[in-house]
Amino acid sequence: MTRKKLTCILCPNGCELEVSHSGEPTPETIVVEGHTCPRGIDYAIEELTAPKRTLTTSILVSGGTQPQASVKTACPIPREALFAARGELRRVVVDAPVAIGEVVATDIAGTGVDVVVTRAVGRRLNDTSRPER
Amino acid sequence: MTLRARETDVAVIGGGPAGLAAAAAAADAGARVVLIDRNPHLGGILNQCIHDGFGLHAFGEVLTGPEFAARYVDRAREAGVEVHSDTLVAELTPERELVCTSPGSRSRLRASSVVLAMGCRERTRGMLRIPGPRPAGVYTAGTAQWLTNMENIRVGRRVVILGSGDIGLIMARRLTWEGAEVAAVVELLPYPSGLPRNITQCLEDYGIPLHLGHSVTCIRGRDRLDGVTVSRFGEDRRPIPGTAFDIPCDTLLLSVGLIPENELSRRAGVQLDTSTSGAFVDDRYMTNVPGVFSCGNVLHIHDLADWAAEEGERAGRAAASHALEGLATGGRSTLATITAGEGIRYVVPQAASKGAKEVLISFRVGAPDQDRTAEVLADGRALASETLRRAHPAEMVQMTVRCADGLNVDRLEVRLQ
Amino acid sequence: MVIIGAGVVGSSIARVLSRFEGSFAVVEKAHDVGMAASARNSGVIHAGINYAPDSLRARFCMEGRQLLQQWCRELNVPVSICGKLVIAQSQEDLPALQHLLSQGEANGVPDLHLVSREEATALQPGVECIAALHVPSSGVVPPYAMTLAMAEDAAANGVVFHLGCEATGVVAAADGFVVETTAGALHARVLVNAAGIHAGRIARWLDPDAPEVYPCVGEYLILDRQVGERFAMSVYPAPRADGAGLGVHITPTVEGNVLLGPSNEYVADPEGTGCTQCTSDRLLDEATVIWPELPRQLVIGAYAGIRAKLTPPEVGGFGDYVLLTTPEHPNALHLLGIESPGLTAAPALAVHVVDGFLSGAKLKPKRADRVRIRRWPDRFDELSEEEKARRVAEDPEQGDIVCRCEGVTKREILHALDNPLHVRTLSGIKFRTRSMMGRCSGGYCLPRIVEILQNERSWSPDDFFLRGPDSPAFAGRLLEVNRDTARS
Repeated sequence: MTRKKLTCILCPNGCELEVSHSGEPTPETIVVEGHTCPRGIDYAIEELTAPKRTLTTSILVSGGTQPQASVKTACPIPREALFAARGELRRVVVDAPVAIGEVVATDIAGTGVDVVVTRAVGRRLNDTSRPER
Repeated sequence: MTLRARETDVAVIGGGPAGLAAAAAAADAGARVVLIDRNPHLGGILNQCIHDGFGLHAFGEVLTGPEFAARYVDRAREAGVEVHSDTLVAELTPERELVCTSPGSRSRLRASSVVLAMGCRERTRGMLRIPGPRPAGVYTAGTAQWLTNMENIRVGRRVVILGSGDIGLIMARRLTWEGAEVAAVVELLPYPSGLPRNITQCLEDYGIPLHLGHSVTCIRGRDRLDGVTVSRFGEDRRPIPGTAFDIPCDTLLLSVGLIPENELSRRAGVQLDTSTSGAFVDDRYMTNVPGVFSCGNVLHIHDLADWAAEEGERAGRAAASHALEGLATGGRSTLATITAGEGIRYVVPQAASKGAKEVLISFRVGAPDQDRTAEVLADGRALASETLRRAHPAEMVQMTVRCADGLNVDRLEVRLQ
Repeated sequence: MVIIGAGVVGSSIARVLSRFEGSFAVVEKAHDVGMAASARNSGVIHAGINYAPDSLRARFCMEGRQLLQQWCRELNVPVSICGKLVIAQSQEDLPALQHLLSQGEANGVPDLHLVSREEATALQPGVECIAALHVPSSGVVPPYAMTLAMAEDAAANGVVFHLGCEATGVVAAADGFVVETTAGALHARVLVNAAGIHAGRIARWLDPDAPEVYPCVGEYLILDRQVGERFAMSVYPAPRADGAGLGVHITPTVEGNVLLGPSNEYVADPEGTGCTQCTSDRLLDEATVIWPELPRQLVIGAYAGIRAKLTPPEVGGFGDYVLLTTPEHPNALHLLGIESPGLTAAPALAVHVVDGFLSGAKLKPKRADRVRIRRWPDRFDELSEEEKARRVAEDPEQGDIVCRCEGVTKREILHALDNPLHVRTLSGIKFRTRSMMGRCSGGYCLPRIVEILQNERSWSPDDFFLRGPDSPAFAGRLLEVNRDTARS
């Protein structure tokens, strides 16, 4: 019997879940305790069988007041896809200005999920001849 | 924009979550508000916190730091707060006069109320007295975060992180995503100091070893770091002989504590509480200096920006009341003291107005525990109590004491039963 | 003429020489001046009580302290004559105080007084002692600023500094010497060896019988500037007969930091400036005996410097300075064992070297109008409010405070990069401006400095070094624009 403690991150309650399963974890074999609502069960099952994560990272901005804009996947993507997603985003450059929520990539790493800007970057007004950094 | 010698109702020092919320709340209450922030963009530390986990309490959403900040920036602007970015407050007098400096301008601003919201700085290698030479490659985690997320700089290739607080954990993940190898996280205490979800998402997901009950006993490398020596520590907080091992690395990040940035406050005569390194405040978040309020990380270190913003709102409202109507500053006899008792590391506020119908107390427990009851006592009687299913020093707890007839005792104590 | 070593002694000599016609060069293996013991000491302007009256240390201390103050006035380097208390913690210490008093008087130190416990605590509240020797003429100076100011003044007046250039050998040649270095060879008619901890080894390139120089490390702790509001005089415990150094002192700095130290330990490695746990703990414990209210939680940093001692570990104590020339090489002078009061003595040693040793060179003084003193810049943070406001109105970049802890402006940061020694390291900026020396150790100002230099001076991440090419600060850019990047 494998036991694991998880903190559910879906709402502020942060229920401490006790999750157990014998053999491989599957939706059928996983037992969840400690949740206050049914979403906790789904979270625990997903976390043990097909964990998803939100990627929060940065991309290059051209002509902006800062060299990077911060971005995130619009919703969590499979954990295995994180490095591929970041790799794809390394090759993206957006032109300033960019606003929060702007989509900078779609179907990242084949997940079907968009990547959106999380930090606005204004246009650099003076001396556009300065080298990109 | 140039600030000339002038007056305003409320001056807020610091444009992070607490300052933004304080400014918006004060303006909403009808005060003229000037918000001063030293960075080019408002948001304070949140601009570099590009990870998510913000806003669960404030908005019921999962936001990144910059998105969370943007919400409060919008509120402040909508409320009509006058914002001065790229401006540092160089001096604050007990008479609430600010000397402000920015490119091309050095001026004075007089305010009826001042809200201190300057946030915090990080504990450094020097403060820890970590032995060894002084090579390049040793950074505090927040500085590394700024360099990585704002300046587009790779701080190093093979990283050890000292301290399992959230900033260190977040940076472990960030650097791993950016192609660095995070060789280990080292934590002196026998338990992690960061949130459990960060242990999962930042360390376990990537197989990054966490050495609990260990610390760095020597830094190696004369010019650029080439490794650290790590030892197991006993309960006496001293290294256990024979347990030392070396971890080769070129970068050491320190995530070993945050210190409220109160140099301005101290010079203005604000009394500081050694258990928080922040100001002594009453339930209106006013310090011992009349009209000077404090909130957010400069008052006490928060684990969630949501709470810092909420606290800012309370302080901002009180600051506006004081500026517009004048709050009673009757001195000690009108205040009940609030102290930290058994099992409690600190409490904020450290005093409450007699006659108050409701007092919100923030506190932290001294050690991790389960199923304990926290209570607020007055003359041995519990005025409020709450069962903490799990209590951890890393997670701030809040309790509200309600007195229908108004608070009429001299002393309150918060303790674990 | 070639000087090996750009510490405080070499830089002082360079400064004196820069007032004469001629070709003078300094060879320094570090990538800035004063990077060894000269920046890593207590910064004390000694009064002259610690040295036997007929010693070179006494002579150069007494001459040097006057010259040092005069030079610092000329150069605009701040000095504070804050005084010192040498304290007796028990009856056994009293003879030592008496000895220092007599010795000081014999050296011409003015105003020495034995004081009672009450008088001592009136001078410096919080000090624990039974009696003390009050030394009003003792003072402090920022040793790194003084060394840099002298070197930059010398450079601005024609002395060539070869930094990052390590002397690897000296051979006698027909008309003097050939100094081999990692950057090529220099010819010199006259050679001055001011190489500090390496001076003995270098002297033996020419004179196999030159004395050995032994490295002895002194660790320090630095306390926050707010501590200087409470502790404003140097306090030393009375020296004990067996000590190799002066014991663990409490020394204020001009800026208001307080230093604890130095410790004393002979080491094998002349470059080994690591700090250790046990010494760090000992410094705090011993300083707390002198000042029980010492705020231990206000330690903000630590550093260590290595003394060049002439006395071996089994002997300890102090040897007198050795200024060595030999009949075989009359045009080579080796300055050996210049430890405490080396900082104080340096200007006098320099004058002595030029007036004495170099008198045969018949140096011709430059015309007065050919010499321009390069003053150390004012620290913006120290100016009056009126002056600050005036400067900001004239020069907007003086309104931009980059280092919050030390109040350093953007203008000062940029000015520091335009130094006549062409030093472009972070340590170079730090010691010239005080940025990154405050309580947050650069946590705030380092990224700001990086941003300014990337934005306005087109630096890339690979241009940032802590002290030289072997100490890169970073590992390149996080994200690069390259041919694979696509516009979104």
